[in-house]
Formats: sequence, structure tokens, C-alpha cells
Amino acid sequence: MNAIIALSALAILTMFFGVIQKKSVLLPLILSGLIIVFFLNVIEWGTFKHYYNEMFIADNFNIAFTAALILTTFLVFIFSALYYRTVKRPLEDIYALMLFSLIGGITMASFGNITMLFIGIETLSISFYILAGSKKFDVASNEAALKYFLTGTFATGFLLFGMALIYGVSGSFNLQAINSYIIANKESIPTLFYAGMILVFVGMAFKIAAVPFHFWAPDVYTGSPTLITAFMSTIGKVASIAAFYRLISITFLNVHDFSVDILMLFAIATIIVGNLSAMTQDNMKRMLAYSGISNSGYLLFAIIAMGPKSAGTLLYFSISYAIATITAFAVIMLVREERGTFSLQDYKGLAKQNPVEAFAMAVAMMSLAGIPPLAGFMAKYNIFSVAMNGGYVWLVIVGVIGSMISVFYYFKPIIYMYFHRADAHKKIETTKAYKIHILLVSILLIILGFLPGLVIGLL
Amino acid sequence: MIEYIWLVPLLPLIGFLLIAFNFKRFQGSVSGIIASSAIFVSFIISLIVFIEIYSSKQTATVQLFHWIKFNKIDISFSFLIDQLSTLMLMIITGVGFLIHVYSIGYMKGDSGFNRFFSYMNLFVFFMLLLVLGSNYLIMFIGWEGVGLCSYLLIGFWFKKHENNNAAKKAFIMNRIGDLGFLLGIFMLYYYFGTLNFNGIFFQAHMFTIGNPTITIITLLLFVGAIGKSAQIPLFTWLPDAMAGPTPVSALIHAATMVTAGIYMIARSNVLFVLSPITLLIIAIVGITTALLAGGIAIFQTDIKKVLAYSTVSQLGFMFLALGVGAFTGAMFHLTTHAFFKALLFLAAGSVIHALNGEQDIRKMGGLKNKIPITFFTFLIGTIAISGIPPFSGFFSKDMILIGAFEANSIFWIIAVIVSLMTTFYMFRLLYIVFWKRSNKEDLHAHESPKNMTIPLMILAVLSVLAGAFGIPLVFGGNDIIGNFLSPIFTESTNIIKINAHEISHNTELLLMFIPVIFVFVVVYLAYYVYVKQKKLPEADNQKRPFFSNIFFKKLYFDEIYNALFVKPALWLSDFLHNIIELKVIDRMVNQAGNLVVWTGKTIRYIQTGNVGFYLFAMVISIILILIFKLFI
Amino acid sequence: MDKNFIPEDYIPILVQSVVAFGFVAVTMLATHFITSKRKRIRTLHKDENFECGIEIKGNARFPFSIRYFLIAILFVLFDVEIIFFYPWAINFSEMEWMGFFEMLLFMFFLLFGFYYIYKKGAFDWKHDE
Repeated sequence: MNAIIALSALAILTMFFGVIQKKSVLLPLILSGLIIVFFLNVIEWGTFKHYYNEMFIADNFNIAFTAALILTTFLVFIFSALYYRTVKRPLEDIYALMLFSLIGGITMASFGNITMLFIGIETLSISFYILAGSKKFDVASNEAALKYFLTGTFATGFLLFGMALIYGVSGSFNLQAINSYIIANKESIPTLFYAGMILVFVGMAFKIAAVPFHFWAPDVYTGSPTLITAFMSTIGKVASIAAFYRLISITFLNVHDFSVDILMLFAIATIIVGNLSAMTQDNMKRMLAYSGISNSGYLLFAIIAMGPKSAGTLLYFSISYAIATITAFAVIMLVREERGTFSLQDYKGLAKQNPVEAFAMAVAMMSLAGIPPLAGFMAKYNIFSVAMNGGYVWLVIVGVIGSMISVFYYFKPIIYMYFHRADAHKKIETTKAYKIHILLVSILLIILGFLPGLVIGLL
Repeated sequence: MIEYIWLVPLLPLIGFLLIAFNFKRFQGSVSGIIASSAIFVSFIISLIVFIEIYSSKQTATVQLFHWIKFNKIDISFSFLIDQLSTLMLMIITGVGFLIHVYSIGYMKGDSGFNRFFSYMNLFVFFMLLLVLGSNYLIMFIGWEGVGLCSYLLIGFWFKKHENNNAAKKAFIMNRIGDLGFLLGIFMLYYYFGTLNFNGIFFQAHMFTIGNPTITIITLLLFVGAIGKSAQIPLFTWLPDAMAGPTPVSALIHAATMVTAGIYMIARSNVLFVLSPITLLIIAIVGITTALLAGGIAIFQTDIKKVLAYSTVSQLGFMFLALGVGAFTGAMFHLTTHAFFKALLFLAAGSVIHALNGEQDIRKMGGLKNKIPITFFTFLIGTIAISGIPPFSGFFSKDMILIGAFEANSIFWIIAVIVSLMTTFYMFRLLYIVFWKRSNKEDLHAHESPKNMTIPLMILAVLSVLAGAFGIPLVFGGNDIIGNFLSPIFTESTNIIKINAHEISHNTELLLMFIPVIFVFVVVYLAYYVYVKQKKLPEADNQKRPFFSNIFFKKLYFDEIYNALFVKPALWLSDFLHNIIELKVIDRMVNQAGNLVVWTGKTIRYIQTGNVGFYLFAMVISIILILIFKLFI
Repeated sequence: MDKNFIPEDYIPILVQSVVAFGFVAVTMLATHFITSKRKRIRTLHKDENFECGIEIKGNARFPFSIRYFLIAILFVLFDVEIIFFYPWAINFSEMEWMGFFEMLLFMFFLLFGFYYIYKKGAFDWKHDE
């Protein structure tokens, strides 16, 4: 709760400083603010509170995911300086929207009531719609915003419809109350309740971009400004998966038998379609969009299996995915700034000219591909073992096959960077700070790979 | 200070990273100074820890973090600090530091100067990890890491094809041993449920002596030790490893890495004493290696090869000590050997340096007066390794000899013979290299710079004095090292001692002096042959007597391995490549790949870019899900 | 909610939808039948206002300035926010000073929003990007 209040204040302050044209204070203010919020959030560790008639539940799960979200946002903000370096005006509207969507994300990780879930999702999504279109004079950006908005509202409609059905049957929006209703009427739950569940799942599946509700993701991620893509594909995914987990673990655990088929359908379809589509992409951004889709499939494993370690593994997977994605996008932004496109061809011989960036990219790609001892490997390994313990052998087999396919496309940029000769490109000049940031983030991935126990043990 | 023990391996790692990342930037001896100072600070910390352990007689486990944790497996990244590991720390950082300083002079002007020091620091890091690890897995990381660094450093001058081959040979030979070690670790985990030293040794009491499980585990571990410590049948890589720069030979292939096998067995002594069969095998392998390597050394003509075989032989000696249960003796000899063998290698390096890279002893001679410091230190090393009192080698060898006698007098006899062979080939080397032969013109040689000679002198002092730590009770000494290490070995020694017979003090004195007398005889013999008669080893192509030829050709080990393993392996891999790989597997894999690519290309088309279609697809999916879940 | 609904409970809804659809259908059909075919021809004079209203000026479908919508949407926004005053006004005496300050805070945010859009030039008619 601390985090939400402090972040709201931070966002308003950001708008204020933007409006009085103090451009230089914005980023330092936000970064230091985020650090403070992080600590405000972490000091609540171990306490269990709920606010406003259980609208909000502040437990360790919430705090851990809030911390992960803040960390991710922090990293995105670090790289925003380079991305917006040519923009003269203060970007307080974009920054504030990013902070607001972060608040939405945090709400999604802490709701105790499905209306709160809805509010969180909307806060997050509406901000995203605008952010996706924040490059006002770029057709692709406009297209992305419109597509996201159209499909997003559509999905929200289904989500809301599902919530209404659930309310209609159980008579409450409160997660616990719905759970008690399920326990009390285990044998005689009307079909409409299940229909409501399916519709809610559909809405959530849309948010995490699970197949077959993923269609928006590649287009929106490709069209949006790169920094925003990095932000959306991490914050959006982590918050949505946390919300999904929370929803199922608190409310629908007793009808899990019913949900498992749907979720498995989502997971398997997502892994297959996501990985196969990513394989033939030549556009790095689009490739990462599909990679984000396929990672949703892995994330669903933890929700399907619902073992004692699911939450921790979800957290670990989310963090490692988010950091690797942001690292990759940081390099993509740089290459795109200098060379104009997102094409793989631009990465030829990058290792010779920009070893630091190439190294970071390679680490990120290898982590996403799941090469030991990087964080991505540990994350995949743990999530597979959670699924294994739940007895979902087939799911794990699909996951492993998907992983194998993913190595193919994750290694493409590495091959281009390290084994191809640069044709006509010049060395990309960047600031030392940016280099250090990229390097630090990629090293974080390596370090994280040695500490899976620490993170998973949290929850 | 013990809680800061993690600094000890961390500093060389930082040194490595620092040099590796400024590979192109560092000029002159900057990287050498960074590397040396990293080791030096590590050494100071080790020294403080050593003193703490020595005075408090406490042991400690420093846990850094949980590393792998799932189900019942809980492997933490932690360090075990006790008498054994601190002793090793002292050797590695101390000798390592001296060799680093020496290398600054030796490698000066080499184009790979920075690379050299980054590898050296990395090596020290892994070696420290190996020694400090509190479980077999950490030890294994260090074990593999030093193997890697050894590979990199043997093939340091990678432009020469033979160096690369030597590096590969070392790597592959070690791999065979590592397989055994790894299997041993797996079995340990299977039977004990943990890989922690303390946990395993605690549980070991539940097994009876001679338990077959323990025998298999210890044999597998021993296979690992054979590979790393170059024992029969996996010793052939060590002489070839001399292709690397001389400081590498001194650090890795004499003082530290090759002793990892000894350390591992000494560390696992609780397990090994439970299996008398393994101990017997270790003793036999050790003594055989010592004997054969000693024999080969006598006929070698390359200054470093002689020292390499001498190392193999001395390592065999240490294995003999382990096999007969004289663990303290093994560790003591390891320590003194680290000093005098490092000294000998470095002095040899100084000779090579003085002669601009000449390694063939037939082309040397009369260097006594030209490079006096090198000569003097080499002399001290030779005396120390020959076991002439009161130099350190005498005491450590004596400890092993006594141990061997207590176990079996045949071991003792062979050990004495080996020890005499050592004396012979070392003095042969000394006389040929440093004494003047009239029929040769004067060689042009220059003494090495200060930063090379000072480490030599320090090591020489240590080679003389290190024996003081192990003066046996008969001489009124108080066996400092024995007392120091006793917390680790007492239990095991007690088990061994049940079968052994105590020997009286008089016998002990007698056993000590018989070899010494023979040693002097051998020294004179060598003097007679190589100085008085001015005999020189024959040229390579010259026909030799049958016996001498066998030893000169290293007992044909390489040729036998070639015929027995390499050729069949090559044939098999040819078959697998041409038939199985190309005709069967490749085709399958390619087809699978093609299928995947084709699907990927096809599946792309559902992403049309048309929002209307997206919404349509979503609605259809929802309807299908609803129908299937609710109505069927 | 322990009450179970049976299909009969939905009859009022059914009736209402029948009436709604029926009304539309009936009126459309009725106009179709009672008007004569000839009168459906449009002439200029027939479309004119007759004795009331204002003269038509141009087409209704021409592009407005985006600012018009902006103002409109901002009006709706602030208007809706003001609605929060009603429940507060009713519970004014119970909530006492605490409520008052909370409302002040709310007002502050509202005013800040107003300040922000003002500063961003939302009411700046002349300036066009």
C-alpha cells in the first residue's frame, strides 16, 4: 500500500516538474523516487495487512512482485535517457503514464477483490494504450495504439462480463467470499459460474498474450516506441501473470480441475505458436515480441501446476525474463538509433565494434534461451520442475521442445554479432554510463543465475 | 579474519577480470604487478587465517550462499577452513606469489604478457576454490577450473602445433580421470545424500572397514587423483605439459595443481582408510610410478623433462605415503616438494632464460660461474630433493620412508631405490648443466634480473628450512606439522595403526641413515660419471643399449596408448561420422529442422495485421472454448 | 446469494424485449403502409424548415477542431468528478473534519489536474500544433 501511495505522489510530482519545464530534474527525481518506493515497499515484508474491506491485500506475494515491478521500471527508466536524448521537451506525460501503469501493475499484484483487479488492469492498460501511441507522428505507433485499444477493450469486455457472471452466481466480488462460495456449493455450481471463469481467464490470457489471444502482441510491440515496448512487455506481463496467479491461488483453487484444461491449452498453444513464429523473424523487435509470447507459456506452467513452489518460481522466472528482455531492448534501441532498422543484418560484426553491447545482448539472449548458468536456465529449470512435481509430464515435454526451438532464434543475433563480418557499419558511439548500465544489467543476469534458491525461497 | 576468507579466492578472480577486460590496454608489466599484488594480499590474508587456525586449533565453515537447493539437494557455496586447507592456502598463495613475481621477469617482452597473467590469476582462483570448498562439488569446480587453466597455459604459445597437442593431451588425460572423480561424487551423493565433507565423514563411521561400496567410491576418486596428479597410467601428459612457459610448469605442474589429487585423498582420508584394498592399490600405483618415472628421468636430455619426470616420481612417492596411511608424511612432502620443485623449475627457467631458450642439457655446461645465483639455488634444490640432511627433503622423505617401512618393508626397499634414483638424476642434471667440460667452447650466458633471482633465493631458504617443521621425535624435534595436522588425520591413522607394527627408535635411526649413506655414494657416482669421465648423453639418433633405450623412449607409453586407444578411437569415430552421423542422424535432424522451419513460416500467416481478423479469431476461440468446456 | 432463479423469473425481461422490438417493427410497418408512394419523393422545399427553427447553414458533417472535443471531454471529466461531492455532502456531518480534509485533498488533485491541463495549453485556442 505504501508503494501505491508513494508512487502516485511521485507521478503527480513528475507531472508538476514537467509542467514547470524542469526537464533536468525529472529523471533523477523518478529514479530516486523509485528507489525510495522500493524500500518503502520492502519494509512491509512479513506483515500481512488488508485495506478497505479487503480490497487490497498486502502480503509477501504482493511485496515481492511489487519489488520486481519497481525494479523492472527502474531499469527501463535508466535506459530512457538514451532513448529520448533527442527530445527537447520534458517528457513528464510519458513518464507519469509509465508510473501510473506501474501503479496499475502493483494493484494487479495486490487485489483482494475482483473489482480491484479490474481497476488495476484498466489503469495499466489505458496507460499502455496511450504509451503505445506516444510517438505521435509515427504511423506504426498510431497503428499499434489503435490496435491495442480495439483488441484490449474487446478483451476487457469479456473480462468484465466474466466478473459479472461470477458475481451473479456467488454474490460477491471478494476473492475469499467467492472461494467460500465454491467450497460451500462444490457440487451445485451453476454452469454460468464456469462460463464466467472462462471469460475471466480469456481476459487474463489476453493480458499475458497467450495464444489464441496473442494477436495484438506482435503488432503492438513492433509498432510502439522501443522503450515502451520494453516497458509493456515486461511490466504488463509480470503484473498480469501475478494477477492471474493470485486469482487462481486464492479463488479458483478448488475448481482447479476445471481450469487446468483451459490453461494447458493456452500454455501449449502459446509455446508452440510463439516459438515457431519467432523462428522466422528477421526483425529483432518482432522476434522479442514472439519470445515474450512464448515465455507466457512457460509462466503458465507454474499456475497450472500450483505447487508449493509455484509463486517463488513465478517470481524468479518473471524477474529473469524481465531483466533479460530489458537488456536486449537496451541494445536494440542503441542499434536502431544508429543504424535505423531493427533488422538482424544490423547486428553483423557488432562484437568487434561494440564488445560491451554485444556481450550484454549475448548474455540476454542466452538467458532467454536457457543456457546454464544464466538466470534464464535456472528459471526454466525450476518452472519445469514445478510442472514435473505437479505431474504434468507432457507439458514439460512440450516446454522442452519449445525451448529447443527457441535456441535457434535466440542464437541468431549472437551468430550475427560474433561470427559475421561487419559490412559497412561504423562503431556505435555511446556514453560510458550507458555502457556500464548495460553491462551491469547483464551481469545481474549472471549473478541471478547463481541465486535461484534465494529468490524462490522468498515465497 | 576467518569470515573474510572469501577474499582469498576473490582477489585473484578480480585480478583476472581486471586484466582480462583491459587486455589490450595494459602496457609493460602493469598486469604482472596487478596479478602479483592480488596474490600477495591473498597470501597475507591466508597467513593471518593460518596463524589463527594454528593458535586456536579451531576449524570453521564459512557459508557464502545457498547455491543449489531443491527437493533434498542442498548444496551451499561454502568454504571449509581447517588445518589442511590453510596449509594448502599457504603453499598456493605463497609459492604462487613468488612465481608470479618471477614471471614478471621471465615473460617480459612476450606478446602474450597480459594474457599470461590473466590465466595465472584465474588458475590461482580455481586452485583456491578447489582447496577451500567445503563439499565435493565446489572442489570439482576448482578441479575442472585448474584443468582448464592448465590447458590454456600449456598451449600458451599456441602458434606452435606441438604445444597445442600437448595442451589437448593434458586436457583429455585429465578428462579420463575427471570422469572417475565425477562418478565418485555421484556415488557419494547417492549413498550419503550430501556432498559436504563434514556430513560425509560423519556418516562414514556407519560403514565397516572393507565395505565394497566405499571401496568402489574410493577407487573412483583415486582415478580422478591419478589423472590430475599424473600417475600410471595417466601420467604421460605431464612431461608433455612442459611445452608451457617455465613458471607455469613450476606453479601448475610442480607445486600446486598436480598436488590436487594428493590433497583430495588426504581430505577424504576418513573414507580411504575404510578400504584397505584401495589403499594398497594407491601404494602400489604410487611406488610403481615413482620407480618408472625415476628410471625415465635418468635418461632424459631436456632439462624440463627431467624435472617433469622427477615431479611424477615425487608425486608417486606421495601416493605411496597416502597408501600406507602416512597422510602427514604425504602432506609434509607435498609442502617441501612445492618449495624445492618450484625452486628447481624456476632455476631451470633461469638457465633457459640465460641461454635464450635452450633446453637441451647436452648443449649446456660450465654455467657454474656465469650464473652463480641460479647455480647456487639449483644446488640447494638438488640437495633438498635428494634427501640430504638437514635440508627439508630429508625430513619429509624420511617420514614417508618410515611410514612405508611400518606398512611393508618391500615398499621401503623400493622407496629407497627410488630416492637414490632421484639423487642420481638430479645430480646428473646438476653436473651436466653447471660443470665445465673442456671439449666445449664457452657458452654465452647472463644472470637473470633481480625479480627472478629474489624469488629463487626465498624459495631456496624455504627449501632448506621447511624441514624444521617436521623434525622427528628421535632428533628431539617435536613434529610440528604432525601435531598441526593431527585433528584431521588422527582418527584415520589410528585405524591404520591397528595393523601396523611399532618400530623402535633405534630401528628408526637405522632406517634413516642407511639411505643417507647410499645417497652420498650415489652423489659420488654421478660425479664420477659426469664430471670425471665427462660423459654426455647420446644424441637422439644414436643407437643406445636396449635397456637405456626403453627408458629414453619413456617405456613406449605414448606408442602403446596410440595403438591401444587412439587408433581404435579414431577408427570408431570415422565410422560413426561417415555412416551413423552423415547418413542417419544428420538426415533425421535436417528433416526435423526443415519441418520446424516450414511450420514456422506457415504459422506466420495467421498474423495478418488485420484487427478485424484478430477480433474474429478471438471470438471464435472463446466460443469454441465455451462450447467444449460447458456443453460437451 | 442463496436464491436460485428459475427461467420464469426472466419473463418480465422477455416481455419488455418483445414490446421494444414490437414497437419498432409496428411503427415502421405502419408508416410504410399509411404513407402514399408519391409523397416519398424529396423536393427542396419539403426539406425546409416550416414556420420554426433556424435556417440551415451548410452540412453538419464537417471537421471540427480537435480542441472542441478536448474541451468537451474535459468538461465531462470535471463534471463527473464533481459528482463525488454529493455523497460527501450527505454524509458531511458524520465525517466531520476528517472528511473535510479528505475532500480538500481531493479538490487539490482536481485543481492540480486543472492546472496541469491549463499549463499544457488545452485551453489555448489560437495555438495550433
